[in-house]
Amino acid sequence: MKHFDQFTEKMVRGLASRTSRRSILGSVGAFVAGASTLPLLPVARASETSPPELKDDPPLSTGNPQDPGDPSTCDYWRYCGMNGSLCTCYGGSTNSCPPGTEMSPVTWIGTCRNPADNREYIISYNDCCGGVAGGRCQCERNEGDRGVVRPSKDNEILWCFGTQSQSYTCSTAIILGTAISK
Amino acid sequence: MPARLSLLLSTVLVANLAVAEEFPNPLPKEPIPNVQTLPEHYPTTWAFLDYSGARFELRNVGSDAHEAKGNLPARESTAALLVSTQRPEIYLADTVWSRGSFGTRTDFIDIYDPKTLTLKGEIVLPGPRGLMSPREGTFTFTDSERLGLIFNFTPGSAVTVVDLVGRKVLGKVDIPGCSLAYPTGERGFTALCQSGTALTVRLDAHGKVVGRSETTAFNALDNDPVFTSSALINKVRYFPTMQGNVQSLDLSGNEAKVLPKWSLVSPEEAAQHWAPGGWQVSATDEKRLMYVLMHPDAREGSQKIPGPEVWVFDVTSQKRVSRLRLVRPGVSIAVTLNSEPMLLVQTTTGLDVYNAGTGAWLRTLQLPGLNTRMLIQPIH
Repeated sequence: MKHFDQFTEKMVRGLASRTSRRSILGSVGAFVAGASTLPLLPVARASETSPPELKDDPPLSTGNPQDPGDPSTCDYWRYCGMNGSLCTCYGGSTNSCPPGTEMSPVTWIGTCRNPADNREYIISYNDCCGGVAGGRCQCERNEGDRGVVRPSKDNEILWCFGTQSQSYTCSTAIILGTAISK
Repeated sequence: MPARLSLLLSTVLVANLAVAEEFPNPLPKEPIPNVQTLPEHYPTTWAFLDYSGARFELRNVGSDAHEAKGNLPARESTAALLVSTQRPEIYLADTVWSRGSFGTRTDFIDIYDPKTLTLKGEIVLPGPRGLMSPREGTFTFTDSERLGLIFNFTPGSAVTVVDLVGRKVLGKVDIPGCSLAYPTGERGFTALCQSGTALTVRLDAHGKVVGRSETTAFNALDNDPVFTSSALINKVRYFPTMQGNVQSLDLSGNEAKVLPKWSLVSPEEAAQHWAPGGWQVSATDEKRLMYVLMHPDAREGSQKIPGPEVWVFDVTSQKRVSRLRLVRPGVSIAVTLNSEPMLLVQTTTGLDVYNAGTGAWLRTLQLPGLNTRMLIQPIH
């Protein structure tokens, strides 16, 4: 029921955002006026049962036990320094950009511990640029972020440098190698 | 006519006569076109709210009517706004591409009339501006607001110097390894550097560099870096640090002076890991008080989470004068400069307004369309 409420709310909000107040009032008025003149017809229902419950997307997996976790969720181990949208939600992956975008060659880096092998890895959060910025799968963990004074440790910069487009789509989390333990 | 219908019509007629008696005259004709204007000097109970990419909204935060007074357009999420106190002009630094998200890039400063919010001029910049979340130091005044300074990031660093009165670009100053620009002295700026130092650049009237000086290292970038959101009081900038200290820089002269670091937290509070956090973490009454957004249980990565309290410090005595508990955690804070200052707190959904002296909650403003952290600019 909760999902149905959320769905209904989204539908109504979506309608509100696409429709002017005048047009929605006009449509409702026409419907109400028409309703009074139409006979009540029997309606064949597709199903008498309640609609299927909307469920969350199933978890993703790398398929590699040494790379554990769900890369479409923010608590995946490589995202410890992440601030942005996860490319796994846009047709990309942890280490590739979605089709139609371009990977920025320079970016900020973090150091994350892999819980499977307990090693510290240097992670490069390359931005993917030039696609649709949908705002899906936002993830912000900020570990190791130190601000713009040290740009290579700042995840608030738009890192679409050296790319055709400087429009941000999503961020990857690519292993550069192992780091000296903290 | 059937008796029942006749009764109905009579009832309607009587009702209409009663309404006509209450409102004997129709509403007057209204002029077309009709566009609102604003005062040349905005009240200090107003503030510009940066919606980070959507618009800059001018809002009356001092009224329960919650009025939006107007908007300026932002094309890019990194647009930056400056409101002049010296002349009736508002400057908006922004970036566009000829094909929307790609094509030829143009960086520019648009100049708006504060009374009409209409465009009165434009300065095209050589670019490229640094494109990053809205923050202090990306677009600032110097030389009594005659010059504008734009921070460029390619990822090489430079500052473009613009004559805002003459409406022309004067030049570009490379600041390798350093970031942002804070007004310094009569005509100059200070940038914060990766080496932990601060670089001060002095300019002549034509925007040419006439001197550079660098402080000793003070910014512990590995463990206790400064937030770039500062409180400016009597030409001293007070920067909170990630571990709960304050690092002050005296920017009144030709060189930045590093002042002794002091702590925002007692040993007991340090044990509870109270630390600054949020986005615009500092605010000031510009006289003696510094407001800092604080959160407990600070850890690596918590430096941008919303804070449940605002702590107020007298920067002269370096003592806390009050501790304000917020009705909702805050992301960004600012203080208005009117006679009864208000503390403005952006939350994830709206803007909570408090009495800055007592901490009493006054009102909450809805911020439709807000989807990120914001920079709040109270009117001077």
